[in-house]
Amino acid sequence: MRKFLIQKVVLMVSLLCSYTVMAELESIDDKELSSVTGQAGVYLTGEVSINEEGGPLENSYFGSCSDASKKCGARLSFQTQQNGGWFVLDNIKGSISFEGLTFEVRNISSGFGGDGALFNRDVMEIGLPESIRMNDFQYTLATGSSSRPTDGAYKQVDLMTVEMSGDLTLQGNLLVFPTP
Amino acid sequence: MYRHIQNIVLIFALLIGALSASAEMTSLSDNDLSEVDGAGIGLVMDDFVFSAGNNPSEDKIFKITGIKSLEGDDVVINVNQLYVARSGSNYGTNLEGVNLGRLTNPYEIDLIDGDDIGLNGEAVLQLSAPTKVDQAQGYDCLNVNAVQGSGTCSSRPSSTAWINGERPDMGLELELNVGTEAPKNLNFNVKSAVFDGSYLRLWGDENENKMAAEFRLNFYTPELEISTCSQSNQGCSSAIKMQDFQLELALGNTFQPLYIGVDNVSGGLTLEIAKITHEYINNIDLATGVSDGSAQGDQAYVFFDDFYTNDAYRSNVQIGNLDIGGTSLGSSKVEGILIQYLDVKFRDLAP
Repeated sequence: MRKFLIQKVVLMVSLLCSYTVMAELESIDDKELSSVTGQAGVYLTGEVSINEEGGPLENSYFGSCSDASKKCGARLSFQTQQNGGWFVLDNIKGSISFEGLTFEVRNISSGFGGDGALFNRDVMEIGLPESIRMNDFQYTLATGSSSRPTDGAYKQVDLMTVEMSGDLTLQGNLLVFPTP
Repeated sequence: MYRHIQNIVLIFALLIGALSASAEMTSLSDNDLSEVDGAGIGLVMDDFVFSAGNNPSEDKIFKITGIKSLEGDDVVINVNQLYVARSGSNYGTNLEGVNLGRLTNPYEIDLIDGDDIGLNGEAVLQLSAPTKVDQAQGYDCLNVNAVQGSGTCSSRPSSTAWINGERPDMGLELELNVGTEAPKNLNFNVKSAVFDGSYLRLWGDENENKMAAEFRLNFYTPELEISTCSQSNQGCSSAIKMQDFQLELALGNTFQPLYIGVDNVSGGLTLEIAKITHEYINNIDLATGVSDGSAQGDQAYVFFDDFYTNDAYRSNVQIGNLDIGGTSLGSSKVEGILIQYLDVKFRDLAP
């Protein structure tokens, strides 16, 4: 009984402590905020790999990449009409590696052909890596009669397959900001 | 009794905590809410360059496969170059950064109130290019030397004062390989392109249970070139040049949404624009187009009168000068195209 009482007293003290902690919260005005020095941002290097060695499913449609009669890439299907057919991104596989993808907050108050001074706000800047390397990346654009290729009477129309490998150039900064 | 007191003390402490927390919350007045920004997301590409292409000597592969000719031969399309760069790129050989969108008039992703565009009670997702602006603020949509006050486009051409500009050169250079035939080239190159005023609106049509769309594509370029030149000689004379090309394409509107879907039997792509109608169409004399004199008939007449006279629902194509292989064929234009009804179904020709 005594132990139970002690526990409740401790709990009550904790709650009172939280009350005093909340009392320490104060708003920060713009002047104080302006003196806060932020971090330089985030610099990312990485590789995104999708079913490069094949996926986990093995059935009448999906299988090993060494089996030419089976698809080993990932599959995404979506529907825009109730009881309609499906748009399909099929056999997505390969990898994309990049170096120097950056994220930071940037204040723009000049440049941009005179627009910067008029804008005079902060933006989220996503710095694109100058070079991206595709490694045997491919996907197939298709449409299908139902969501899964293993469904009965399934019919798929493959529109085209895009295959990419090697370096491509993608440079610049994507500026993201709220609009009124 | 002792335990009961403990519980009361505990509840009292919790109430104090809750009271102190609620004291920090204040209601927002309409005035406060009106100052909340962030209805949409603005996107601007700064100093942007994109280039990719098929070049086996540099271990670069970029090709489109999975297509067959009518004879059943495999068609392999090598994408020799796909680029987006600053105006003056000389068919993508001189890649410099261009801006896409302006900070004061960006590309936008927005969730708009359907009540504002005639779709009552609907939330509409809108993806839009920079909007058209007043003549005093805008630039001619075609002229690469346009100055402020010369037109209604917001995007500016590249100039000595603003070298990036907001009008990119774009190109798609293809090499078609059909069976054992010799490769053929097909290239599309566009100079100083402008998309101002374009948008795509998407919403859910509750009556049809379909995703509905309204698509407006404005595309202006001082030169659109379609050629069969080789990759190393893009400036050859085997080309169709459309100078001062203007396309204003309107597919779907709030009364006739564009439905893009897939057939659930054949698996083929379907495009549909519903025929124009009105709930009081029966109060219109279909032979003379005149109202029957009732309030409903007058309402329907006003509706159809606006539909048939409003340029916003019509598509236009204009070419300032059409040049084929060095021979000028002059200007041509098709204006006021109004889609009354559209039902397109794709199907696979393969057996």
